[in-house]
Amino acid sequence: MDKQTLKALLLRRDEGFWDALREITRSATEFDELFFLSMLRKRALEAGMVPPEPLEPSRIALLGGYSLYPLNELLLHLLAVENISAEIHKGDYDNYVSEMSEADGGLAEFAPRVICLLPSPHRCRHTGPLNDPEEIVRTEAEQVAAHLLDLCRVAHDQFGSEIILGNFPLPARQDPGPFRSRSLATDWNFRKWVNLQLGLRAPAFVHPCDIEFLSARRGGIHSEDSRGWFESKQPGSPGLLVDIAREIAHQVQGLRVPPKKVLALDLDNTLWGGVIGDDGLEGIEIGDTSPRGEAFKAFQRHILTLKQRGVILAACSKNDHARAIEPFEKHPEMLLRLDDFVSFQANWEPKSDNLRRIAAELNLGLDSFVFADDNPAEIEIVRQFAPEVTTLLLGPDPADYPGQLQDGRWFDIRSLTAEDSQRTEQYRAEAARRSHQADGADMGSYLESLQMEATVSSFTAIDVPRLSQLINKSNQFNLTTRRRTEAEVESLIGNPEAVTLAVRLSDRFGEHGLISIVIGRQHGDTLDIDTWLMSCRVLKREVEQVVLNELARQAADRGCQTLRGTYLPTPKNEMVREFYPTMGFQPDASSGDAGVFVLPLNSFVPKPTQIHILSTQS
Amino acid sequence: MTQTEIIARLQSIFDDVFLDPPTLHPALTAKEVDEWDSLLHISLLLAVEKEFAIRFRVGEVEATSNIGEFADLIEVRSTEK
Repeated sequence: MDKQTLKALLLRRDEGFWDALREITRSATEFDELFFLSMLRKRALEAGMVPPEPLEPSRIALLGGYSLYPLNELLLHLLAVENISAEIHKGDYDNYVSEMSEADGGLAEFAPRVICLLPSPHRCRHTGPLNDPEEIVRTEAEQVAAHLLDLCRVAHDQFGSEIILGNFPLPARQDPGPFRSRSLATDWNFRKWVNLQLGLRAPAFVHPCDIEFLSARRGGIHSEDSRGWFESKQPGSPGLLVDIAREIAHQVQGLRVPPKKVLALDLDNTLWGGVIGDDGLEGIEIGDTSPRGEAFKAFQRHILTLKQRGVILAACSKNDHARAIEPFEKHPEMLLRLDDFVSFQANWEPKSDNLRRIAAELNLGLDSFVFADDNPAEIEIVRQFAPEVTTLLLGPDPADYPGQLQDGRWFDIRSLTAEDSQRTEQYRAEAARRSHQADGADMGSYLESLQMEATVSSFTAIDVPRLSQLINKSNQFNLTTRRRTEAEVESLIGNPEAVTLAVRLSDRFGEHGLISIVIGRQHGDTLDIDTWLMSCRVLKREVEQVVLNELARQAADRGCQTLRGTYLPTPKNEMVREFYPTMGFQPDASSGDAGVFVLPLNSFVPKPTQIHILSTQS
Repeated sequence: MTQTEIIARLQSIFDDVFLDPPTLHPALTAKEVDEWDSLLHISLLLAVEKEFAIRFRVGEVEATSNIGEFADLIEVRSTEK
C-alpha cells in the first residue's frame, strides 16, 4: 500500500481508506510523509467520510521550551488514527514554569488528562568553567533534574494529570574534543547526568519521553536543526519531530491500553531455520554452527528475556505435533523448551482457530495477543479471522527478528513486580483447567481472498532438477515416498504410459513455485498413481482438489475407468494416511492391501476449488 | 530555469501539499491563502528543498514577500552549486 493508492481510496470515498491510513501512518518515519497523511485525513473528514470506530476523547497539554507547533498537529494525527480524539492545549513558548505552577491559570481551566513537558536544553548546561570541581557541577545537574521533577509533582497534584516528561538530546558535535568525556561540566556529560537523574528519580506519574534516545536513534546531526531553531524555535529536525510525536502518542495510548500479554509464535523459519517435518532434527538451522543458526538462537534468547519479564509464550504452528516438539525435546542448541510455553498448538487447523483456542484456554482476550510468523499468508488469515490479534510478519532476515519484535513496543514495561516473572506458571495452570473448542473460520472466503492461481503442466526437461529435488526432499505430504534420480525423472518425459503433473501456485503474496508432483502409470483401463506429493507450505489451499480434477480428466481422456492410489506409511507421512478416503477413494477390496484405494471415474464429479487454473497442458 | 518554469514545478508541489491548492502566480502571498499556516509552511519548504535539491539559508524564505520572489530565491540556490 502506498500513498497514491491511499489517495485513490479517498477519491473513491472507499471505507477501506481508514484502515489503510492507519497502516501507512504506523510505518511513516518522515515529516513530509506524516504531513501528507494528516492532510488526507483532514480531506476525508471534510468530504464527510466518518472513521469506522468512534474516537475516544483525550485532553493533552503540550508545554515546553520550544514552539510546539507543528508538533501538536503530528500528535493529533497519530492519535486520531488510533481512535483517540485529542484536544491539545498548546503552551506558550518557554512559559512552562508558570503554566504548571499556577493553580488558577489556563491549564487549570483546560484540566488536562496528560501534560507533556518538553524542556529545551538551552537551560540545561553548566555555566561555569570546565574545570569546576565535580561536586559543584553534580549538584547543579541534580538541581536541574529536581526542579523539573518538582514542577511535575506540583502540576500532578493540582491538576491530577499524568506527566510525560521529555529529557535532553545530547550535542551532535564532538566539542570540546577528548576532554568532553573527562569533565562533568561539558554539555555532553552534564546532559547525560541530568537525563539519568530524571529517569532514576521519576515518580510513577511521570512517564519519561527519552529524547536522548530518539535523537541518537535518528543520529545526532539528523536530529538537530539550528535553522529550525532560529526561524521558529523547533525542538529539532522535522524527522525528530516525528519521533517525538510518535513517542508521546505511544505513551498516551499506553495510559489507556495495557501492554500485550501473550506472544504466540510460529515454529518453522521463525524459531529455527528450515522445516522440521522436511529437514528433520539434523537439517534445521539453530545454534552456533552457522550464522543463520546463531540468528535464530539470538531470537530465542530475546523471547526468553520477554518470558522472564512476564510475557506468556504460546506456539502456533502448522505441523505434525510429534515432529514439532522434537527440536524442543532433543535439539541441544535450542534455548526454548516445551515448558516455556503455556500452550502448544501444532496441527493443520487454521492458525486463527488455534489462536482462539489458546485464548480460551488461558481465559484471555485475543486483543492481548501478538502473533509472529514469517509467512504472509498465515499473517493474513489471522488478520482476517482473528482481527483482534496484533500480527508481526517476520523477515526476510532472521537477524532482524529481535529488532522487529522490539520495534513493535508491545511488551513495554512501566514497572516490574515479582508476580510478573511467575506469570507463565499461573497461566499454565489456567490452561490445564480449561479446554475449549475454537470457532471455525470461514475458509472459503479466506481462500478466495488469496486469489490463487495454479499452473498444471506435464514434466518438461528444463524442470528436471527442480522436480527431482522436490521428489527427493518431500516427506510429509508424500503418499509413497518413492525417490527418483534426475535421469529417472527425465525418462518419464514423453513416455506414453506415464501421466506426469507438475503444479505451480501463486497467490496475491507472490509465487510459491513448484509445489506438487504426480506421476501416474497407465495399466489398461486403470491409472496407477505411483507418486503424489505436495509441499506442506500449501496445505489446505485446495491444491489437492485441483490435482485430482486434472488427474481424473487426463485419465478419462486416455480411456481409463479407474484411478488407483497407494499409501505407503513412513515415520514422516502420517498426515496423509487418510488422504485417499478423504478425497473419495474406496479401499480396493481386490488388492488385499489396506493401503490401496480406487476411484471409479464414471461417477467422478470434479471437486470445487477456489484456485483459478491458468493453463494446463498434457 | 525561468521564473515561470519554477512556478510550474511549484504548482505541482502545492497541489500535493494543500487541501485546497491555490493557483500560483508571481504576486501571490502566503497571507492570501487561508491554509498556508506554519505546519504547512514547514512541509512546503521540505518538499521544495527535496524537489529542487537545494537548502535554504536561515531566514531567507521569510524574507521573500511573494511567490515570484520565492521562485527567484529557488533559482539562486539552484544555480550556486
